[in-house]
Amino acid sequence: PSEKIDLDGWKKVMKSGLQEVSETVSEQKELSALDGARELLEMWRLAGRSVPENITEEQLKDFIGCPSKSAQKKYLKFLYIKELRKKSDKRKLIEKRERLQAQERESKPDETKKNSFMCFWANSMDKAYNWRVAQSMIFGQPLVFDMSYENDMTIREVANTVKQIVLSEGFNRRSVDPFHIHFCNLQEDSLYQKEFIKHYREAWDRLLVTATDQCYTEVFPKDKLVYLTADSPKVMKTFDHDKIYIIGSMVDKSIKTGVSLARAKRLGLETAALPLEKYLLWSSGAKNLTLDQMMHILLTLKDTGDWKKALEFVPKRKYSGFINKP
Amino acid sequence: IQPPEKPLRAEEWKRLREGFSSPEIFEDVMLNSMVRYNSPIDVAKSLLTHVAKSHGDIAYSLLIKYLALCVQQGKTSEIRDVYDIMKTRFKILESGAYNLFIRGMSNSDQWRMALTLLEEVKKIMIPSRANYESCIKAASRHREMNLAFELYREMLDKDLVPTLDVLQAFFDSSRGMKGAELQKELFGILFYLRDNQIYPHKTFMRSVKLWFESIPGETWRGHLTSIKDSGECPVCNHQLEDSNLTEEEYDNLRERIVRDVIHGTDPFRKTSPQEFEAFQAFVESRLPFDIVIDGLNVSHMKPRQTQCENLFNAVNCLAKGNARLLVLGRKHMLSNSSSWRKELMMEMQNKADFFFAENISEDDTFLLYATLQSGKHCKFVTRDFLRDHKACLSDSVTRHLFRKWQRGHQIAFYSSAEGNHINFLPALRYDCVVQTTGDTWHIPYKNSFEEKYSYQVPRQWLCLHQK
Repeated sequence: PSEKIDLDGWKKVMKSGLQEVSETVSEQKELSALDGARELLEMWRLAGRSVPENITEEQLKDFIGCPSKSAQKKYLKFLYIKELRKKSDKRKLIEKRERLQAQERESKPDETKKNSFMCFWANSMDKAYNWRVAQSMIFGQPLVFDMSYENDMTIREVANTVKQIVLSEGFNRRSVDPFHIHFCNLQEDSLYQKEFIKHYREAWDRLLVTATDQCYTEVFPKDKLVYLTADSPKVMKTFDHDKIYIIGSMVDKSIKTGVSLARAKRLGLETAALPLEKYLLWSSGAKNLTLDQMMHILLTLKDTGDWKKALEFVPKRKYSGFINKP
Repeated sequence: IQPPEKPLRAEEWKRLREGFSSPEIFEDVMLNSMVRYNSPIDVAKSLLTHVAKSHGDIAYSLLIKYLALCVQQGKTSEIRDVYDIMKTRFKILESGAYNLFIRGMSNSDQWRMALTLLEEVKKIMIPSRANYESCIKAASRHREMNLAFELYREMLDKDLVPTLDVLQAFFDSSRGMKGAELQKELFGILFYLRDNQIYPHKTFMRSVKLWFESIPGETWRGHLTSIKDSGECPVCNHQLEDSNLTEEEYDNLRERIVRDVIHGTDPFRKTSPQEFEAFQAFVESRLPFDIVIDGLNVSHMKPRQTQCENLFNAVNCLAKGNARLLVLGRKHMLSNSSSWRKELMMEMQNKADFFFAENISEDDTFLLYATLQSGKHCKFVTRDFLRDHKACLSDSVTRHLFRKWQRGHQIAFYSSAEGNHINFLPALRYDCVVQTTGDTWHIPYKNSFEEKYSYQVPRQWLCLHQK
């Protein structure tokens, strides 16, 4: 009797539960493009592809607007990973809260803490930082972000750029001796501007930086300007406290060599590249760094003048070690 | 994990599942490995029955995997069953399922079902080229050539690029068939190869040869051969098309090189407007040149010799036939260093014109401009494949023109092992592309399937002519 195994039993089960489902299916109308796409994504998710569970109307439109199938796939994967990250962040937050609660229950509530130091709240830290940045706006060394690359980037690249600049601005604010940051060539209603407002909200107008639609050549004397670009044939030897360094606000995910060098050439400016090869045993990766890494490096150079310390901020995966005798 | 060899009963599956490290994905992993080991479908069926009875439903991803197993083993009736179940269970299906259904059905005697499925796919998205490929192959296997060509044209209209495999299928299944219409369609495929500068591989070439020789009422004979340097076919003594561009094509290419490659998005990226203007004036005043040389590229020919000795040898060698030479270089070559000695540089400048670009400018773009400006007879010397410049051109028609021009005008070189001798590979005098005169066809082909570099040009040809 053990030989008898019902092989097609699954078909019966699948067909039996169908009566009520097929009725709804039968009144199928022509689906609109959006609904059709939504259905398709749901099926892809069921098939086990990297597709987000929830998708907004706007994202769905972006998905339909993708120029090719591979672009669609990439976009979906991007949303999927974003969703996963959000979920795990949420889970971690809940776990942390539970852990804290458990700790509180264990510790005895009656003992009051005595401390001779005044408690520093975030608020008063902010005040201290702002004081320093305000001073730098009067006496500090200028540092220019060139915001003229919008047409060379995709929307996502612009968003990434602004994110990196927001990080840089944060590092600068908390440093001992901040730069006076200038956003030059920043047009009203530009994508950059919109992204900035998304990040800073109402704080954007109170930000202690100089934002202008003028070019740096109109703001500063030309002979003081140095354009930092990885394509420059000139290598920077020392950090000059009298110069005004310019960083191109550009994230370049496709291959566009020489865009910022061309800009400096057109304006007849001095250019310089970081001495990466002089100090580091480069292993792989492009020599262009993110804007926040540049900010860390320049701040460290300004404070210490120590290349080795400054170049610690180059990502470790890009080099295998420091050169002993530069 | 290794799937069981025989169908299991529910309790046995249950036990296996409990022994597995992560039970929640047990069925997925098991079915995947069944596909990998090509297990008998009865084993998969028994697993599905177990799942259905314990959950009351089977997940879409499991059905797909089961379907993949059925397609792999060509179980047509089972594929149809899965289709019926999926169609009633789900509102629409996704591309993965359709790919499997179309592939599965097109290989069966119910291949017309694949066409119906293709229509269904079109309602939700653009079918993939693999979908078309399955349907076209099925149609041509059953000698429904009109239908096959209709699908082929539809595919091209949707900007899908057919694989060589599909094109070959047309020739294979038309063997011995009659009809002027059919012949025209197949010639159309050969013209497609010509227009897109695609070179067929050896087995494809054989299919073409066999089809030609099988045309009823005609007396085609095919021979494998290699073309002489003069461009003459040793079999039928036919002179191949030369590689010259027409006036219009030539002007068009020159204009596009200046616009897309030299200026591009920003004229400062590769040079500067002042420098380019100075170069233009320089070229205008000395036109026309016979050979334009990429000085820096040539100077790296032999690592044992200094850079200027290499260049000196090359210039001497090329100047022999009273050719007017232009050498392009960069300013640092004038610095009188150990690799660039002043007296040799002076001597060379008596034999050839020199232009020195800024050290940060790209000299390749000047090379292209000077050669094109000198006229059709002018050749250029570099070992560079110029792929990055080709990539700057925005449309495929111009890129094909560029490749054609490059084949006919680039002189490559290599150095022999001993001595100072340099060997120059002359540019091809004939055009390496599928071509016909009506009663002859010449088709270049690749020896193996893997040769795929765009700069490589095949040396073997199929010569077809009527007796």
